[in-house]
Amino acid sequence: MAAFRRGCARWQQVRFLGARAPGRTFAGTHHYDLVVIGGGSGGLACSREAAQLGQKVAVLDHVQPSARGTAWGLGGTCVNVGCIPKKLMHQAALLGVAMDDAGKFGWSIPGPVSHDWSTLAQAVQNYVKSLNWGHRVQLQDRKVKYFNTRGSLLDRHTVRGLDAKGTEMTLTARNIVIATGGRPRYPTHMFIHAWTEVMFGIFNKVTFALVKSHGQNLSRMEDCGASVYVGLECAGLLAGIGLDASVMVRSVALRGFDQQMAQLVTGHMEARGTRFHWGCVPTSVEKLPSGLLQVKWTEVRSDLERVEREDTFSSVLWAIGRVPETTGLNLPQVGVQLHPDTGKIVVATDERTTVSNVYAIGDVAEGRPELTPTAVKAGKLLARRLAGQSNQLMDYHSVPTTVFTPLEYGCVGLSEESAESRYGKDNIEVYHAFYKPLEFTIAERDASHCYVKVVCDRAGVQRVLGLHFTGPSAGEVIQGFAVSVRCGLTYAQLRDTVGIHPTCAEELTKIHITKRSGLDATVTGC
Amino acid sequence: MGFMQQTAHHDSALAFVPFFVPPISSITRLGPTSCLWRMASDAVTRFDFLVIGGGSGGLAGARRAAELGATCAVIENNRLGGTCGGNVFHVFWKVMWNTSVHAEYLHDHADYGFEGAQAHFSWQLIKNKRDAYVSHLNQIYRNNLDKARIQTIQGNARFTDDPEPTVEVSGKKYTAPHILIATGGHPSTVSDEDVPGASLGITSDGFFELESCPRHSVLVGAGYIAVEMAGILSSLGSKTSLIIRHDGVLRNFDALISSNCTKELENSGIDLWRNTQVKSVQKTEQGLNITLGTKDVKDKDAKEKTDRIQGVDCLLWAIGREPNTAGLNLSQMGVKLDPKGCIVVDEFQNTTRQGIYALGDVCGKALLTPVAIAAGRKLAHRLFEGKAESKLDYTNIPTVVFTHPPIGTIGLTEDEAIRSWGKTSVKAYTTSFTPMYYTITSRKTKCVMKLVCVGKEEKVVGLHMQGPGCDEMLQGFAVAIKMGATKADFDNTIAIHPTSSEELVTMR
Repeated sequence: MAAFRRGCARWQQVRFLGARAPGRTFAGTHHYDLVVIGGGSGGLACSREAAQLGQKVAVLDHVQPSARGTAWGLGGTCVNVGCIPKKLMHQAALLGVAMDDAGKFGWSIPGPVSHDWSTLAQAVQNYVKSLNWGHRVQLQDRKVKYFNTRGSLLDRHTVRGLDAKGTEMTLTARNIVIATGGRPRYPTHMFIHAWTEVMFGIFNKVTFALVKSHGQNLSRMEDCGASVYVGLECAGLLAGIGLDASVMVRSVALRGFDQQMAQLVTGHMEARGTRFHWGCVPTSVEKLPSGLLQVKWTEVRSDLERVEREDTFSSVLWAIGRVPETTGLNLPQVGVQLHPDTGKIVVATDERTTVSNVYAIGDVAEGRPELTPTAVKAGKLLARRLAGQSNQLMDYHSVPTTVFTPLEYGCVGLSEESAESRYGKDNIEVYHAFYKPLEFTIAERDASHCYVKVVCDRAGVQRVLGLHFTGPSAGEVIQGFAVSVRCGLTYAQLRDTVGIHPTCAEELTKIHITKRSGLDATVTGC
Repeated sequence: MGFMQQTAHHDSALAFVPFFVPPISSITRLGPTSCLWRMASDAVTRFDFLVIGGGSGGLAGARRAAELGATCAVIENNRLGGTCGGNVFHVFWKVMWNTSVHAEYLHDHADYGFEGAQAHFSWQLIKNKRDAYVSHLNQIYRNNLDKARIQTIQGNARFTDDPEPTVEVSGKKYTAPHILIATGGHPSTVSDEDVPGASLGITSDGFFELESCPRHSVLVGAGYIAVEMAGILSSLGSKTSLIIRHDGVLRNFDALISSNCTKELENSGIDLWRNTQVKSVQKTEQGLNITLGTKDVKDKDAKEKTDRIQGVDCLLWAIGREPNTAGLNLSQMGVKLDPKGCIVVDEFQNTTRQGIYALGDVCGKALLTPVAIAAGRKLAHRLFEGKAESKLDYTNIPTVVFTHPPIGTIGLTEDEAIRSWGKTSVKAYTTSFTPMYYTITSRKTKCVMKLVCVGKEEKVVGLHMQGPGCDEMLQGFAVAIKMGATKADFDNTIAIHPTSSEELVTMR
């Protein structure tokens, strides 16, 4: 309680400082060492680090409400409408599964159990708000000036800020970092009634009521950028809390990821009741008088055979990719080049754009993984270089990641396909194993999708090129292996480590069947 | 390859009658009984590799040796509880731990929006499942032995006085140029002379026999077995008291873990008795009455305080483990034992007698299933593949304790590092946070982590953590630490967001 009151005092202080800015229409010109546009993971990390190193820093952050009115506070996608709410909802879904299992573990739960979406949404929103607040406090503590203002470039050293009330100001800076991230893509090629929401809109209070009606929910995904996993994650968590979810996929799931692993992930979801409509392209969404949404789509069975289909859903969620948030930044006018296909900002290895003192990090930068930790790390390293403290560049290789589908999938390094195309099928050795987590045995859960795979260079010391894991706690499992891959892990070193018994992670140190051998890769006993 | 012979058994347990399959692939595999033939009882059966003890380490060694072409036999003592006893022990634990983890989840359901998830627990159901699973495992292990063409010999092994190391089982003699002792250990007990009524209690072995969840349990001991069992019993609804001799539990772990674990035990509602010993136990109609003596060992002037816990239906001694060496007749063999009765071995698992080796719990070092398995395999490679340098590196062995929440640890504790490297060369990074899962629950659990680094390059020599998920987190870091990873290597690894393990690569 005391902490909460202290928080309130700080909140007022921030408001007071904001209100004190002189002038209604023009708030003056301020000079900084560094101005960061975008208060998401990358922008905040960069500005805090720079301030820590003695730079005078300002951050501009402003969220343009979405078509359905969704807007949020400081912290960007990850905190507000990405990783954080998603992981919490995923935990709720896991608890739903745990409840099914609990009976098998000797627990009896009398009476029916239901899930109340608003309880969860409220809890998540409260936590997200505390994070928004935490970010503001952190900026203040580090003496970073925060403006809830939309920024655009006037020239290579000048940023024009315009807030919601129409107050304008000018900031000049030695260096400018653009970290505006991206927003979910809305479909543009067809008629859609407004009563649908883009990815993660459902997390917002405004729209959670949508999902509350227990009908079918449709998650539509296409292969585009990092959002390849978002649709699956959403469908998974909806299914986990007992809702009926369908996923519509144009081509393949989890494009860019190892496709064998992707099939295990979707196979597990299908086995647990999520419906997949493969090879389907929606043509229209229409709201019926009942409030339900009628979706029409084309199922492409072959080049010649196309079937028109339709069904009704209580909500439709688009996860068809993300668009970089560059509109209004005035980038081309000051010479910052955008990629012609993706619209993202073209950057060099040191995050520099085509204007030498303007940098871009995170989702808005071309060719970068759309992941919070890479943006954070790139932002920190950039701040250190700008402060003249280091020459270290961000290394974008061997980035570990985890997909929080009902059966989690964690990986680091190359997929089997990329290793094959890069080294040749004959020059890689793939070790694999189907294992059964102990948690699954008692719970009598189907473990046929729990699998580990290690892709190695076949020559010499068999350096590990890629490591893949589906199973419980994949994110926690893969992190340590990512450190070892960074240290130059070889197959022998992996096998030389004593396993931790009984865990799922130990399966990676026990792996010994090669795909080439054609032997049964099912793990039995000790 | 030695010619292998087999004598018939007239054991009552028909299912366990071993059978012989000649190690020559051209011979058609015959049914169990048709290939048995009798021998004179004074003849000695020879193998390349004879393993005493059918636990994880012994089996792993035998299987690997068989793969490398050696003729092998495993002597199995019923008292050990059958094949792969050690492994089953750990599997038991994990199953019980998982069960109790569900109890924790059930607390959180309402916070996550689930309504109506009040539950009660059926001990019998989980016990039956666990027993079924373990016997299923036993069958798998036995099939594996059969597949590997390893002979199993049922009975107690005893070294004879023959000049060549020879083992006698049920009146029949067996020998091999290489004999491995992997007989494991058993829980230590307290005699009634030392503590009147001590035998009214059970040990961890007896825990698995319990037919119902005790209403009130008292556990004695501060080691990992005591702590794990206390956590499980408490989560499953047993009122649990833990009696420890000193101020904290897990005193040989890093200080951070020891203090945090002690705190977590108390937070979870376990009734912790510090600086306390059991004085006597009496049986009454209402259950056991346990008399306790509490005295702060650090305070010399303190008087011992006497307390009594009444109506206890389960007293559990978890005060350590002892090696299974009795009856082996080791003293005659020139196999040296340490004062605790553990077999003394060098880094290659050699005992002081040529041709006799030992590994696992019977050596009293690193009492972990995977360690024994790895040591057994390394030994097999050394003996039967000519890899003279094949040995297990006992440094950097990752260990998980299934407490609530679990503990993961590898390498040196901070104190150990300071002792061997000096205070100025050691730098420890620590962090403590509430994992995201608990941000929206009313029940909170912390995660604590410590990295112990030495030297200018900040080589990571120890990692200690306690928190949800630490059990699955440790393995990968163990690989990296064994490879010699430095703090910079950790820092240069991209985090996985949002996880708890990412904290380990973002420590400042």
